[in-house]
Amino acid sequence: MDTIHACFKDKIGEVLLPGDVFSFRLPESGDGSIKTDKIICGPGLRRNGEEVQVCKSGILRHKQPNMYWIDSQQRRYVPAKGESVIGIVTAKSGDIFKVDVGGSEQASLSYLAFEGATKRNRPNVQVGDLVYGQFTIANKDMEPELVCIDSCGRANGMGVFGADGLLFKLSLGLVRRLLAPQSEIVKDLEKIFPFELVVGMNGRVWVKAKTVQQTLIVTNLLESCENMTSQQRQTLFKRVAEGSL
Amino acid sequence: MSPMKLCVPGERLCSTEDCIPGTGTYLRHGYIFASLTGYVLRKNEGEELPVISVVRETETQLLPDVGAIVTCKVTSINPRFAKVHILYVGSTPLKDRFRGTIRKEDVRATEKDKVETYKSFRPGDIVLAKVISLGDVQSNYLLTTAENELGVVVAHSEAGAQMVPISWCEMQCPRTHAKEFRKVARVQPEYLQA
Repeated sequence: MDTIHACFKDKIGEVLLPGDVFSFRLPESGDGSIKTDKIICGPGLRRNGEEVQVCKSGILRHKQPNMYWIDSQQRRYVPAKGESVIGIVTAKSGDIFKVDVGGSEQASLSYLAFEGATKRNRPNVQVGDLVYGQFTIANKDMEPELVCIDSCGRANGMGVFGADGLLFKLSLGLVRRLLAPQSEIVKDLEKIFPFELVVGMNGRVWVKAKTVQQTLIVTNLLESCENMTSQQRQTLFKRVAEGSL
Repeated sequence: MSPMKLCVPGERLCSTEDCIPGTGTYLRHGYIFASLTGYVLRKNEGEELPVISVVRETETQLLPDVGAIVTCKVTSINPRFAKVHILYVGSTPLKDRFRGTIRKEDVRATEKDKVETYKSFRPGDIVLAKVISLGDVQSNYLLTTAENELGVVVAHSEAGAQMVPISWCEMQCPRTHAKEFRKVARVQPEYLQA
């Protein structure tokens, strides 16, 4: 156990580049009592025989008991199964809608994949609408498919939205920080003024506040949170709350 | 045999009293016409009239027939079917690549509605399949893998290494030890080298 985790331990929190290799050859003890431990390699790490190779540049993170992954920064979204994203309806053809999710291909959304939709009762979706849905099929060989219901058939917050408000794009790392269970950014923002927020894992965020000015303020604050430490962010939010900006 | 003569479709070759129509020809109004572009071949077969046929090249093209086992390569997949190129019929390689389709319900014999094409085939896999229908004019050959001996034979993992089958539905990459789902063909005992 010590050999494997020790290799990783001194690199946790450090920036690694693709091509960096962790190799652990288990020491051949005469007793034959080699403890085999399981390590879960997350995104950015790949096993290659006896070694673990780094595939993406970023910071090595660790979660107890044995999960390691590379926290990388990118703006281009790659569809993955199970992720909830914001899409823009671009075309209606037959039984499906074509939705732009920011990936290499447009996703298809069946008109039956809405709550309460039947063959006679079509959902009210127009070209240009915003939809919040989950991927059921998303891989590099096939066209991605979205649905706006969960496995029980309930909408669960998904579907068409956004009569007003503003849609903008953030980097994927910032979006993941916003979606974390105890996100400090969202908590700090709530204290300034109330607003509606929809966050998609493809980097798209939709905001709506009481007035257009407030909507724009929230947008600018979120975009500036990208490269600030929490200290700088809190001072900025305090200044905005006092109305000096 | 008379010297090789070139012909085009629609050319009148001879009358029914002289020869018997063979492959590449058809009968109309008591005469034999060619239906392919190629060389006219007249073969004498004993006491009966000679057989006249039109061939493209000197060897005859082997066409996949209903019930033949074919080796094909997956070109694209879709939630409803997989498109393949047919490479071999039996053990004979084909000069041209014919196109085939494996529908979702023809992948397995059991639990047909729960089949996911992504967990059965991937683009680039080599698959053993059986022809069930020649298809219409526009569509391709219809193939099936709904038997134990049919399915994926050679597949490459996402890391690029050739995978080893571990069960009828899983294959493992020797380099990354990652398991991937495929509909694997069972190797027949006579091909196993102990």
